[in-house]
Order: sequence, then structure tokens, then C-alpha cells
Amino acid sequence: MTTTVIKGLNEQGGRLSSMEFEKLVRQAATTSNNLVLEAYGQHNIGIRLQHPDGLKLTVSGPSGQRLGCMGMPGTTIVCQGSTSDDVGYLNIGAEITVLGDATNGACNAMANGKVFIGGSIGARGLTMTKWNPEYSRPELWVLGSVGDSFAEFNCGGIAVVCGVNPKNPENVLGYRPCVGMVGGTIYFRGKIDHSYPKTNARLNAVGDEQWQWLSDNIGGFLARVGRSDLLPSLTVREEWQVLMPITPQERALMFAGPMPMAEFRNTQWNRSFGGDPLRDIAPGLDRSPIGFIVSGELRRKKPYWANCESAAPCTFYCPVHIPTVDRLRLIREGRIDEAYELLLRYTPLPASVCGAVCPNLCMENCSRQGVDEAIDVQVLGRAVAGSKPPAVAPPLGKKVAIIGGGPAGMNAAWQLALAGIEAHIFEQDDKLGGKLAQVIPWERLSQAIWDEEMKRFLATPGIFVNLGVSMSRDKVTELANNFDFVIVAVGTHTPRRLQFPGSERVIPALDFLKGAKSANPPAVGRRVVVIGAGNVGCDVACEAYRLGADTVTLVDIQKPLAFGKEKAAAERLGATFKWPVVTGEVTDEGLVTKDGEVIPADTVIISIGDVPALSFLPDSVQTVTVGGAAWIATDRAHLTSDKRILAVGDVERPGLATNALGAGKTAAEYIIASCQGREWKPFDKPLIPQKALTITHYVPVAKGTTEGDQASRCLSCASCRDCHLCETICPTGAISRRELTAGSAGDGVYLTIGYEYVSDDDKCIACGFCADTCPCGIWTMNAF
Amino acid sequence: MVSVRSVTLTPSSLTATDLPWIIEHREDRCTLCGNCTAICPKGAIRLSHMRQRLPRLDVFGTQRGSEYRTFTGIRQETDPAKLCIGCGMCAMVCPNEAITPVAGTNENRTLFFENRKGEPMKRGGRRNATGPTLLDRIVFHRISMLTDPALDAGRHEFTATTTLGRVLSPEEFLKRTMNGGWIPPTREIFPFIIGSMSFGALSPNMWLGLLQGVAYCNEVLGLPVVMCTGEGGCPPWVLRSPYLKYIILQIASGYFGWDEIIRAIPEMQCLPAAIEIKYGQGAKPGDGGLLMWHKVSKLIARLRGVPEGVDLPSPPVHQTLYSIEESVMKMVQTMSMAFHHQVPVYPKISASTSAKAVLNNLVRNPYAAGLVIDGIDGGTGAAYNISMDATGHPVASCVRDCYLELAKQGMQNEIPLFAAGGIGKNGNVAQNGMAMVMLGASGVHLGKYMMQAAAGCLGNEKNRCNVCNLGICPKGITSQNPKLYRRLDPDKVAERVAEVYMSINTEVKKIMAPLGRSQSLPIGMSDAIGIADKAAAERLRISYIC
Repeated sequence: MTTTVIKGLNEQGGRLSSMEFEKLVRQAATTSNNLVLEAYGQHNIGIRLQHPDGLKLTVSGPSGQRLGCMGMPGTTIVCQGSTSDDVGYLNIGAEITVLGDATNGACNAMANGKVFIGGSIGARGLTMTKWNPEYSRPELWVLGSVGDSFAEFNCGGIAVVCGVNPKNPENVLGYRPCVGMVGGTIYFRGKIDHSYPKTNARLNAVGDEQWQWLSDNIGGFLARVGRSDLLPSLTVREEWQVLMPITPQERALMFAGPMPMAEFRNTQWNRSFGGDPLRDIAPGLDRSPIGFIVSGELRRKKPYWANCESAAPCTFYCPVHIPTVDRLRLIREGRIDEAYELLLRYTPLPASVCGAVCPNLCMENCSRQGVDEAIDVQVLGRAVAGSKPPAVAPPLGKKVAIIGGGPAGMNAAWQLALAGIEAHIFEQDDKLGGKLAQVIPWERLSQAIWDEEMKRFLATPGIFVNLGVSMSRDKVTELANNFDFVIVAVGTHTPRRLQFPGSERVIPALDFLKGAKSANPPAVGRRVVVIGAGNVGCDVACEAYRLGADTVTLVDIQKPLAFGKEKAAAERLGATFKWPVVTGEVTDEGLVTKDGEVIPADTVIISIGDVPALSFLPDSVQTVTVGGAAWIATDRAHLTSDKRILAVGDVERPGLATNALGAGKTAAEYIIASCQGREWKPFDKPLIPQKALTITHYVPVAKGTTEGDQASRCLSCASCRDCHLCETICPTGAISRRELTAGSAGDGVYLTIGYEYVSDDDKCIACGFCADTCPCGIWTMNAF
Repeated sequence: MVSVRSVTLTPSSLTATDLPWIIEHREDRCTLCGNCTAICPKGAIRLSHMRQRLPRLDVFGTQRGSEYRTFTGIRQETDPAKLCIGCGMCAMVCPNEAITPVAGTNENRTLFFENRKGEPMKRGGRRNATGPTLLDRIVFHRISMLTDPALDAGRHEFTATTTLGRVLSPEEFLKRTMNGGWIPPTREIFPFIIGSMSFGALSPNMWLGLLQGVAYCNEVLGLPVVMCTGEGGCPPWVLRSPYLKYIILQIASGYFGWDEIIRAIPEMQCLPAAIEIKYGQGAKPGDGGLLMWHKVSKLIARLRGVPEGVDLPSPPVHQTLYSIEESVMKMVQTMSMAFHHQVPVYPKISASTSAKAVLNNLVRNPYAAGLVIDGIDGGTGAAYNISMDATGHPVASCVRDCYLELAKQGMQNEIPLFAAGGIGKNGNVAQNGMAMVMLGASGVHLGKYMMQAAAGCLGNEKNRCNVCNLGICPKGITSQNPKLYRRLDPDKVAERVAEVYMSINTEVKKIMAPLGRSQSLPIGMSDAIGIADKAAAERLRISYIC
């Protein structure tokens, strides 16, 4: 094979342009495969040059930039001196040997082939080097060192940097090698500054296979650059290290930072503080991470089974606080006798009051109205009419004088007697019952029921009744000396009157009603006018009709206050209401208004209320004047300013019969507690909010007529009905029902239930479903 | 549906469609697991039992009446105290995609009833101004296309730090160097600063997570990130730690925590990065701190040097300062002297038309190390709605005016301006920050962005969540209740801080590289930015592009 020499200078010694030189070289290569190029700084020597039998280029003069660029497989280029920038640029297979140094950009974008450097290279060697897996890997061998920014974006190229006579002995790989490197291997020997990005490359010892490859190939490299003498010194495995790319898969698994945060916390953070940074101001504070759905102490709320801790509206609004809910529960459970007894322990007059005269505040506020209609409490009251009195407790050896035998005094006596305290009633009238007996028309309170309840009352041991007793200061003082307590329950028996001409012709309602209910009722005229159109006025009207009146007109200076059963009864009989009417005088003709109108009347009755008659009160009992009349001032326990004298009923303030019953019971409870040496506690249960109940569990049904109907309709507000819905809805199975062995805390024997529902703190996530589901409003979610 | 007759209506009763957030619950998907009601921070949802009436309407049937079907569903409360805040925690814990809050499309009628008991509504969070901000609309249009050295953000090394502190003029510097005069302290810091959020406004896990992330940025990533304490003191062990150098200590009108800071000075291992004197806050100019008693836990009380469970309002103004001159003299000089004039001390003010007056006073004060201007889009732990919604000044034009004023005086390289308030509020943090830098800021402060990015704060500009003031943060970011803040893993916060800063760092380089800048932040390089809004371009004196 011939050797062709191509000169880079022309005959005149002028430099051939790179274009001219390339033409000559390309032409020569068609006839020769061994070219000696006496170059003179021409660029792109060997570009895209190939010969079917292989081609060898020997570059003897100064080489320009991009020696061997786009070098082809089978082409060998040997540069006998140093070369300029970008040797092996875009090389796809040539083997290029540079015996001296190469400047910047060696192997830039090389995809295949090999570059052997006998000296060192400048900056940005091996950048953008590719490896196409269809071919072998490109290789760069450097005997000395490489400059800065080496192997940037290297994508599969292999570099071997031997570190022999490096330009900078402190750093054979230059500053920040391997930026963006995604493939290939960098073998090196010597010191580096470790400025390679840790997210791109990893420093390793040479692996067995790698060492095998290196030792197999380094001899060839040294031979090419004429330094086979170095073989022994370059085959000491311990002196070699490799930089390997971090794969995207590895990087995805890494925290994006070069050090895992947990490692930073353990090795630096915690050490700098010597422990938790808050330990001095918050010793023992647990800040460790928790989940979002938590149980136990980590919950923000927890459920609480507040059974019977609030009052149902019926109980709350009833002045006697009769636990209707419990009564109905006993009926549901078939414990009828206990249900009746429960009621009788609250009032001696359930049939007369609850079942008849009471406007039933309980029903007015009944939660069942949200479903259909209120529970019918009158059915329940009347059912108890014939029941026996409850058992009386053993005597306590105490006795109480009760002045006045109306509903207030009667319930006080009843409660005291049931508790084993002698109750001595001193009644001015010839019968017990106060206004219930004296003035409420029999139409509204059946005599049969009344008599039966009176019989039961009087038959109760421990109740002593003294009728026709008038009171005086001396008498009261005597009672106070002889009894442990005195209860004043005289009611209001002085009618209020108005002063106008002819007022002496007017009959007070109290006198009229008492008379009407007596054995010898008074006569009434054909035309009756009632001044004062309240409920008592309506009773007056009814009685007037019964006693022969043709027309009854109720007049008032304001809109009549009458309501309910009384008003309906009066209207049914034909009574008319007229207001505003200010009475001017009463004459033979009738009532003359201030405006001069005459309302014809044969009988005029005034019904504007009654006031207490308190002349018998000792000075130790203070009164308060309201509306021109004196009333006894009391506290919540109905104690007066004299700590042994209590006052109950209308004598404190006018009210319903049920208010009187409630007052009597409360006063009695205070006395019972003092006699037993207990602290007295008033009824203080809060009303259960309607929102707490879940009434949609119930569907509308007919009201029904029996106790059983009412019992089954009761919503059991604030009192567990043992329906298991909480247990059923609880998503974590935290709620369970537990049988109680001994009687639990409750209001008394009737309220005792033998179970409770509990929530397991370790299972409960505080979703509140129990509270949102409980029909009775028992479960509450409390923050803690 | 059978009407439940106990429902009571008042003049201010609302239905679900009147509310800002409406709970959509799919009964057919619900497993009744209880997760949603257990997680709801407001108690806004409950299990509801409902009843349906099915009348027997068969013409040929003889029986009349109705049958009833009861069913369950998750329903929301309409009581203003329990309004759904749209945080979406219910949706996050639902195993079955059965529940989610959706924004109400009807008018938000709760606005008419939020002043019960005569107390106007307060909230935490943000201004609730949606849409792109002015900063979002700024583009970097000066791109070197072979005209400047082409830079590669991924390959070239960039120095993207900024100087915090007073820089002397060359003449003055030489004079003082030769005569042994005082050279004001400066810090080279990353231009994205974690802005003042107090230990108190933030939970312990959030605050310490941020600091851990900042420490990681400095010590592992080599990014000189600093954070500001806000007005709530700094834990004593942190004051005595090597991480104090990454902390800007804030002092404000409440002076909370400063007893412990002063106590710790002799034992400090290093100096703090700077001292920030808060005179105003962009979110609520003219109003002070409103840390309410329910966030003043034992820990916070101890940290702030106050009793537990008290309200901790900071007055809107420093009580004994009556003029700019006095403020500068008293506060700046005192703080500077406390640290032997070795720590930069600078004030922070609300963006305002009067900002230039403050700036000119600072220029004349040799101790003033810079000025932070906090704009209307800033966030806060608690503010009256009226302050947050309608009080304040946008940051861009305010900082721009101040920068141009400095440039007029030839002082633009001597006293750095920092911009705060709404940087990154729509997520474009690096873009917003660099736009601010090119308008003239030496750096920006990030608050809400860090909460969202580092801890998953659920708040947004559509009034989602925004209950930082109530201490019920469902992510545990702004709560002092350990049951809530333990939901936040400080390691995860720190990890996210590091990720965020790595990413901002890359994006800053991506913005700087086309400008051909790699070695100094392009502060005031306003020829490189433009906006497709003629009025804004004129006002900011940048180019109008279209």
C-alpha cells in the first residue's frame, strides 16, 4: 500500500485553506489508505473519511480544530504532536491518537470510536458524548488529566484518566465534572476536588468487571501513546476510582437532596441542639407525627353517654318535674304498678290535676310534636285515679305544720308523709283542696275523681288534717314552737276589688264560685257581666250559665287573657268577650262604661284576681309588695326569711294548680333533706335541646287512646331507650352495651336501669355518629 | 320528605346553597365509615337521618295512608359558627370518594351575618383576590440569542445570592477601610427569604420544620437561605444553636420573646442573620398582631414570656415612637448596638404611598441595613376581613417607585429593598420573585407560598380554609393543639423546603441564563422585563409588549 503525503502549505509556503486541504485529503484517500498529512493548522482533518480497506492518517504538522471530526469506523488517525479544540467531534467510529495534549472539547458529541491522548486535555472533554447501543461505546483515554467541566451530559461514553503528570496534581478531573451525566463510566487515578454533582454521579471503587476491562485495555492505550513503560504503575487497582452516573430510577427513589432528611436530622440537626430544640421550654412535649384519623387520647372529642343527665321537655316544663319519660318506659316494660307508683310519688292528685285541670305544660312542649302529636298525658293522669298510695317510709320522728290545705299544702304534706315525717294540715275551710275543691267547677274536675283522690290522700298514714282552723300570729308562733317546720300555704283568698260607683253591687268571683260549688248556690240574674276575662272569669261564666243565666258578657280593659279549656267551655255556652272596656259605674241597669255605654246586667261579678290574707304572719317572715298586695318572699327552696317557715303556692305568687303542687313538693324535699341531714339540691337538669334528638327514626301514627299507645309513641327524650342504634351505627365497633350488676346512680329506685352503653376509647375515632343517631339525645361529643 | 316541625327559622337562617362551600355527599358511595365527620375541623358535617314519606297512591288500592323510608347521609350545618370552610379534609379521608366540598355558586349570604355580637369577621390566610397578579403577567423578554455569552442554567455555575445589609459607596468604603471606620455588616443570602411567620402563628412542628429545611439548604445544599422569626420570639435552644445565623429575628410592637433573646445574646454561638423591625404588615396595614387566646398554649406563652391563654394583640404602632426619625434612631440604633453593630438591622413596612418618605429617612441613617416593603397580597395568621380585603398597597409599584427614587439619588446599590406580599401566590414563585428583582428588589419574602408548598396548606384565594386564626388548622400548620400539629411531620416539611429551594434555584438560573447573567442577581434590570398591559408598563417604566 502506498503512502501519500499531503502538505498543508503550498509551493509558495502559503497555508492551504481548510477547504482546499480537505479536498486534497479526500481525493488522496480514494487512491491510498495510508496518508501522511503535514498539516498546518487546518480544521476538521479527517472529517467523514473512510476507505474500504481501512484508512490510516498520520498528522505530522500542527493540527487545527476538530481533528477526526465525524470520524468513520475503520479510520485511524494519529496526531504526532498536540491538537487543538474538539478532537473527535461527532466521531462515529474513528480511532484517534494524540501523542501530545488536546485542548478544549475533546470528544464533544462523540458517539462511537476511541480517542487516545498521550498528554492532558483542556476543559469540557467528553461532553455530550453518546452511546448508541447498536454500536460499541465511545472511549476517551487520557494519560494526564482533564480540565474543568468534564463529561457534561455524558450519555454512555467511557473515559479513562490516568493522572500521569497531571496539569493540576490536586485535581485530575477538573472542576465540576459529570454535570448532567446520565451514562458511561469515568475511570480515574489521582486526586479530585469532589465537585461533581452528587445528584448526577456517584464515586465508587473499581468493580471486578470494570477492573477486568481496564486491565485488558490499558496496555493497548499505553502502547498507542508509546508509554508501555507505565503499565506496572498504572495497574495498581487501589489507585483507581470510578464515577458512575446515577440512574433516573435511582434518583426517583432518592430524596431529591443529596442527603436523606432523616440522616440530616440525626447527624446534624439533633446534634446541634443536643436534643429536641424545645426541651427547655416544653420538657417532655411529644411532637412525634400522628395520623389524621386517630383514636384514644389523640381524638379532639370523645363520646359521652349522658343518660338522664338532661331533662325531657315534659319533665323540664312540668312544675312538679314529673318524669313522664320514665313512667312511659315502665309502661312499655309492662311494669304498670311501678309506673303508677312513680307518678304518685310526685303528686297526690294526678287524676285531678294532670288528668283534668292542668293545661299540661308537658304536652305543650312534647318533642313528639315534631313527628305527629304530643303524648296524651291526661290519659296517663286519669289512669292513676284509683291507685293505692305508695308505701310510706318509717317515721323520722319529725313533724311539720302546714297552714292551708290547698294543692300546695297537700303535696307538701304528701311528700313529707311518704318520707316518714308527720304532716299536720291546718285548714281554715271545712274541706281540703283549696280552690280546686272550692271554686273549680265540677264540669272541669269530676267530683268522682276528686273524691277518690281525696280518699287516698286522707288514708295515707302520717297526714293529720285539722279543718276550720283560723290563723293568728299567736297560733303561728305556737305552731313554730311545736313543729320542726311550718309551711305557709294559705293561697289567695281575698278578692281584688275596684272602686267605682256601685262597686258594692259587684260580687267577687271567689265568693261567687265558692258559693256556686256549695250546697246552696246563689241565685244569678238573667244577664250577667263579668269584669275580668281571664280563665277564672270563664269559670264564672260557666257557673253563671249553670245557675240560670241567659247571657254572660266578659269585659276586660285589655285583650282577654283566657285560654285553653276554660275559654273554650265558656264560649261553648255562649259567653261573649268585650274589650277594651273600662268600668265607669255599676247601676241597676248594669255596667256603665267610661264611654257611657250601658251593658245591661242583673248580676255583675268581678274576677280580677285574689290576693293573700297575711295578717297572721309573724314579723320574722318578710313579704314583698307586688301590684298593691303583699306576698311572701321565698328562695328556691321556698324558705322565707324565717329559716323554719316555708311558704308555697299562690301565697308566693299566683300560679297554676301544678305550680302549687310543684312548690309543695320542693319545700317538702328541702325539709326532708334537712331532717335527714342531707344537703338539699334543687331540680337542676338542663333541658335537652331538640337538636340533640333524632326524631326521624319515628314515623307518624295515630295518637291512640290508651296508656300503651302513649308509651309506644314516647320519644324517650334524654333517657336511653336501649334501642342499640348507637352500637349499630358505630363504624369502628367501639360502642357496646354492658350489663350493670348493682344499681347505678339515678333519681331513685324507678330510674335504676341495669345497663349502660360504653365507647371503647381505643376504637373510637370520634366521628360523632352515635350522637347523630341516638334517638334520645343521650350521646354527646365532648371536646377534651 | 317529611318536614321536621321542630326546625326553627330566624331572620338569619341560611340554607346550604347560601353558603360559600357546599358539601356534596353521595349516599350511594358512602360506607358510613365516619372518617369525614371525625376529621372535619369545623364540625360542619354530621350524620343525618332523614325520613321520606311514600304515600300509597294506588288508584285501585283500598288502603290509604303512607309508608315511610328512613335513610342516612352526611349533611352540613348552616349555623355560621360551623360553616364548611371548603378545606376538603373530608374528601381526603373518604375511602370511597363519596364526599367533597364544592364552591357555592349562589351569592355567599353568610357575608351578611358574619358580624354577630357586633364583632366583624376575622380570618387567617389571604386577601382572596383571584386571577393572575401583576407579577404573574410580567415576562422576561430580553433573551440573549448569540448576543451575550449564552449561558446554560444546568451547566454553568450561577451566583444568585443577594446582599442583605448596608453597602457603602466605594469612596466611603475606602475611607473607612483606611481610617479604621465601621464597615456595616452584610450577609450574602439567597434572594428568596422565608418571611416573618411567628412561632405562635405557626405550630411548633411547622416552625421547626421550616428551620430544619433552612438548615438543610445551607449545610447540605449550600443555598444560603434565611428565615425570619416573625414576632413571637425564638426558642432559647435555637438562639444558642449554630442555626441562629440562618434566622432573622423580628422585633415588633409587642416585643414578644425579646427577654429571652436578650438573655441569650452572651451565649450565642453565632450572630443572627439580621434583625427585622416590623412597623407594618402588608396584609393588614395599620393593624397589629391578633394572636387569640386559643392559640396561646403553654408552650407559646413560655416562648413569648406571657401567661397562658391570654389574648396577645400587638399594637398596630410602636407605642413610644412618634416619627420616622425617632423610629429609626431608637429602634435601628438600639438593635444594631445590641449586637455590636455586627448584625444588619432593617425595618419592614406595609407598602404605602408614603413608603418613599420612610426610605429617604433610612438612606440618611447609617445603621439602616435595608427596607422590606410588604404589599397588599401578603398573608397573615389573623386579621379583620376589612383590613385584609380592602386595606393596603400592591407591592410592585411601591417597590418600583422606591427603587427609582434610590436610582435617582445614585443610592440603588447601597440600601437593599426587599419585597413581600403575594410572591408566588398563584404558584409562580421564581417568576414572581425574579420579576420583583428586576423591578428593583434585592430579594423577596415568601410566606403563604412556603406554607402551601412545604406543608400543604389548604388555603387559597377562593376563601378555602383560611382559618389560621382559629387554631384549628387541619394540617397542623397554624395550630397550637398537639392533636393537630402532630399531623405535620417536621422532616417532611424540611424535605419540602429543600425541594422548593432546589427548584427555585434552578428556575432562577433558567431566568438568568437567557439574560446572560450568571454572577449577579439582575436587580433593577428592568430592560429585561415587559408586560402586555400598557398602563402597567407605563406606571412601572418597563416595556409594553404585545
